[in-house]
Amino acid sequence: MATFLFKRLSMMVLTMVAASFLVFAVSEFTPGSVARKSLGPFATQQQVDILTEKLRANDPLLVRYFRWVGVLLGAIPDPLQDPSTGLNFTDPRGAQYFGNFGYSTLNKLPVNDVIWDRLANTALLAGLAFLLIVPLSIAFGVLSGLKEGGALDRTLSVVCITFTSIPEFASGVFLVTLFVILWPVLPGTSQLDEGSGWPIASQLVLPVAVLVIYDFGYVARMIRVSMIGVMERPFIRTAVLKGMSTRRMVFGHALRNAMIAPFTVLLLQINFLISGVVVTELVFAYPGFGRLLLEASLFGDIATLEAATLITVAIAVTTQFIGDLGYMLLDPRIRVS
Amino acid sequence: MAQSEVIQGAIPTARVWGRSPWTLVLRSRTAMIGLALVLFWVVVAVAAPVLPLYSPTAQDVTALADPTPSATHWLGTDILGRDMVARLIFGARTVLVVAPLSVAVAMLVGVTLGMLAGYYGGWVDAVISRFSDVILAFPVLVLYVILIANIGPSVINIVIATTIASAPGIGRITRGLVLGLREQEYVAAAKLRGESTPYIMLVELLPNCRSMLIVDACLRIGYTIITIGILGFLGLGLPPPNPDWGGMVKEGTTVINVWPLMSVAPSIAIVSLVLGFNLLADGLREAWKP
Amino acid sequence: MEKPVHPYIPTLIEEMNEGAISRRDFLRRATLLGLSAAAAYSVAGMADPSGTAIAQDMPKGGNLRIGMRCMEIKDPHLVDFAEKSNVVRQVCEFLTFTNRDNITEPFLLERWEVSEDLKTWTLFLRKDVKWRNGRQFNADDVVWNLKRVADPAVGSSMLGLFTGYLVQEIETGEKDEAGNPKKSSKLWADNAIEKVDDHTVRLNAFAPQIAVPEHLFHYVMFMLDPEENGAFGPGSNGTGPFEMTEYTVGKNARFKARTDYWGGGPFIDTFEYVDLGDNPGAAIAAMASKQVDGLSEADAVQINAMKAFPHVAVHGVQTTQTAVMRMHPDVEQFKDKRVRKAMRLGIDRDAVIQTALLGAGVPGEDHHVAPSHPEYFPLPKYSRDVEKAKALLAEAGFPDGFEVDMTTRPDPNWEFNTSQVMAEQLKEIGIRINIKTLPSAQYWEVWTSSPFSVTGWGHRPLAIMTLALAYRSNQAWNESKFSNAEFDALLTEAEGILDPKERSKVMARIEEIMQEEGPIVQPYWRVFSTVMDKKVLGFELHPSQYIQAHKYAIAA
Repeated sequence: MATFLFKRLSMMVLTMVAASFLVFAVSEFTPGSVARKSLGPFATQQQVDILTEKLRANDPLLVRYFRWVGVLLGAIPDPLQDPSTGLNFTDPRGAQYFGNFGYSTLNKLPVNDVIWDRLANTALLAGLAFLLIVPLSIAFGVLSGLKEGGALDRTLSVVCITFTSIPEFASGVFLVTLFVILWPVLPGTSQLDEGSGWPIASQLVLPVAVLVIYDFGYVARMIRVSMIGVMERPFIRTAVLKGMSTRRMVFGHALRNAMIAPFTVLLLQINFLISGVVVTELVFAYPGFGRLLLEASLFGDIATLEAATLITVAIAVTTQFIGDLGYMLLDPRIRVS
Repeated sequence: MAQSEVIQGAIPTARVWGRSPWTLVLRSRTAMIGLALVLFWVVVAVAAPVLPLYSPTAQDVTALADPTPSATHWLGTDILGRDMVARLIFGARTVLVVAPLSVAVAMLVGVTLGMLAGYYGGWVDAVISRFSDVILAFPVLVLYVILIANIGPSVINIVIATTIASAPGIGRITRGLVLGLREQEYVAAAKLRGESTPYIMLVELLPNCRSMLIVDACLRIGYTIITIGILGFLGLGLPPPNPDWGGMVKEGTTVINVWPLMSVAPSIAIVSLVLGFNLLADGLREAWKP
Repeated sequence: MEKPVHPYIPTLIEEMNEGAISRRDFLRRATLLGLSAAAAYSVAGMADPSGTAIAQDMPKGGNLRIGMRCMEIKDPHLVDFAEKSNVVRQVCEFLTFTNRDNITEPFLLERWEVSEDLKTWTLFLRKDVKWRNGRQFNADDVVWNLKRVADPAVGSSMLGLFTGYLVQEIETGEKDEAGNPKKSSKLWADNAIEKVDDHTVRLNAFAPQIAVPEHLFHYVMFMLDPEENGAFGPGSNGTGPFEMTEYTVGKNARFKARTDYWGGGPFIDTFEYVDLGDNPGAAIAAMASKQVDGLSEADAVQINAMKAFPHVAVHGVQTTQTAVMRMHPDVEQFKDKRVRKAMRLGIDRDAVIQTALLGAGVPGEDHHVAPSHPEYFPLPKYSRDVEKAKALLAEAGFPDGFEVDMTTRPDPNWEFNTSQVMAEQLKEIGIRINIKTLPSAQYWEVWTSSPFSVTGWGHRPLAIMTLALAYRSNQAWNESKFSNAEFDALLTEAEGILDPKERSKVMARIEEIMQEEGPIVQPYWRVFSTVMDKKVLGFELHPSQYIQAHKYAIAA
């Protein structure tokens, strides 16, 4: 078990290093420089050149990458916070500490000041969506998996496939048209703001609905496949032959077994929801992590982008890991190699 | 995309292909509905130049006062007075070229990688798999946004982004299939006959992965259409004035209160085409199930 | 109070009566020279719109919410976007106020006097202004603020405005890597900004300058409390009507009304900006759901969507804001001035206005001088002439037109739509434009270096300000790389001519040069617009996008 944990952890670190380097390398394609972004569009070329030199922003890619790693690990102070730059960038935590994501050129604030609140907002959104996706998809999946190819199965399958085919921005458009414009019972934007005259709960309805619509159908399909597999197992057939009630059969035997494979899939949805929130947050002006990530990539704010990448990759790898652990717990036959 | 897991849920089998699989497909109602939806868009897209349509970029200033459906513009116009029907149909041309092309390139790369990893195993497998892990650890859309925001939106760049984002997933499926197949007797027989490795891969292994990969490709085309739509919606779509469904939705949301059709119509177009590919994939999978 | 009349004013009155200068130009100049707005309007025979006067019979109380981006503000003297200035303005104030008609009036000042040679400006401060912490607003505060923005180490954009009459460029003696001498700047003399007494400040300039009161209304020229040394955040001291209580970048800004404000108002108890992000649809949805009471800005398309709402009132004001399609004259296709002229002839301005602005604009004349600018000279108008444009292209060696890439950004919508409409129109004269869109941030990286693009230019009260920034050779913001010695010389001449009659002759030639060989196609002047809930009273849209929350009230 200890080796397993160690292997997983080192894998996670390796993935994060590789991912962060990839983002760094890809950002090379963007025209422009850290200096220009820090100073704003109307600074003169001379000012930009001076700052570029001060920040040593023309060093080779690898040098700059390792400098960024150094700042992150607290080995060196953030060059952007040096008073000699004249940028007036200061982090209350200091210029040098472990976990220093650096200074956002987009928000002109330490990344750590911005990103965690946004992440918490997104966690609320994704968490609520997840709470709905799980029971909905289990209900749909189990019902259609009970009798493969039956009328119920076909109907539910088509419903699921249809919902999976509606991208978030399209369902956003449909829902806003219906519930904000034609029948105005919900707010059109969700800034999580008490003062807007709409309770916070009402502001969450549409964004959560958009995420659920796009995702639950897919998970339900997974559970269905797994359920079909379980229904064909001998012990279930025996139970059915013995005249056990459907309800007892499902809750007593089938569900636990049917959930083993989709358990991992469900956890993977957490990762998938991170993609989903980008569009959803844009549609509803939701102050979350996805919008921050989008704005950072459009602006070329490498510090925020790297922080966001590390966080998403960490979430992805962690959920995978939890998935594997859960898999072991649910199915004792599986042993860690 | 996690949709690849759907494929892994089913068990790959050898030689389904022999018994005229297309007749099976013809009997699947789901597949037929999906096919009809896809064919509808393919036909109008191909026929667009000969259809009596407005130019998708021509601006009808007179229609701007009331851009709602009329005898001259059946679905109305967009906010610049361009005919919606023409833009939807010419938009289909773009998406029906870009999405399948992207997926084809991604399949080519992904299947090659997966074959190599599955067939050789060992360090080849380790390198390819670890690299795939890194890519798969990114939320897909984030990967697209980072790539396209940096290298700029164009057909070729969308193909590149799709390849980078999808090839690892395709590779993983292929690897799984090949792992199952390489111990099969007919592969061993081919080896005994002294066939070359490329021959074994292309002639013995690939055809047996074909059904799974076709189903996967359909799903991926659907997902790529969604992604192209999202990119357009985020303002990273194909450059104007080319009609781009996602971009049309984005433009339309500005006036959704008064003219909801401007964003609802392209949304429906995207949903219908994606639904077509997804139903087709589902039908194929059901039909070709062992 | 009786003010000494500047000796030049009688000449101005005479020229206006002869019709040599417009009433608007008279009003602007007479008030700049120290004549009160009321007196100037009465001489011009016009009604005083009373820009700064506030009705006192407004309903009291309530919370007002306006949708606007909330960006990071480091230092009020360095703000670079109107949105940031709008946040600071509720707390800190300017010495002067330029109203919707381009007339500049005293604000924190009681009045000013200017010497005959326009070099000595005496600013008399109001004596009834108190900082929120109770301290009297005095001459030391003004001197500190003016000196601070003149310090190159601070880096305020005021420095550029002061250069040439208060600030001099100097050689530092050092050289940069390329061997060019490094330049810096400083106040030309120790007494350039001088305290006379507790309520009087004098500016001693080395060159005449008529626009000083307008400069004092530049959007960064806030009077800050010297104690805070340029910092700004919740609780910052100010002379303004509100105290900022909360500020979260990307989310909101909250303000609480002062009860002891020196001016009129405020009527509302609390005021708030709400960040609605970049999606124009979200702003509309927020208005539809009454989550905000108004927006700081709404483009024509958004207006069109919202005017149907029964609770929404549309506000508009004609501005000198515009979008120009500009080309580098050193690029193969645009080398020949006939090509550039052909492009001007290839545009149907009314159709651009109808399509991209939904009618909210007036035609531009390709020289970036607006009819509302005091120095405008009316040249003969021309309309679209496809045949002539094609002929010019053929003469220039492009009988079949050409294909070219154009850089644009996807927002704001009106700018992007303008690019699309103009590109479509130019197809007809044979110029095939491939639009390349870059996200805004990336666009700003290349906005001066891209050979062909469309750029939005903001409202400025004087045309020579824009012409000097955008078309004078080798200027940092000269995005079109236009370089014409005659144009440069004329522009310098125009800046130095105080007599409007003389200046208009020079302006006529400047405008002609722009139309004949200039680097731009300029389709329109935009009407700046926004929406407010009908329950918001006292709102008047300012062409510079300035929000003045202390004038607004909420109907009971």
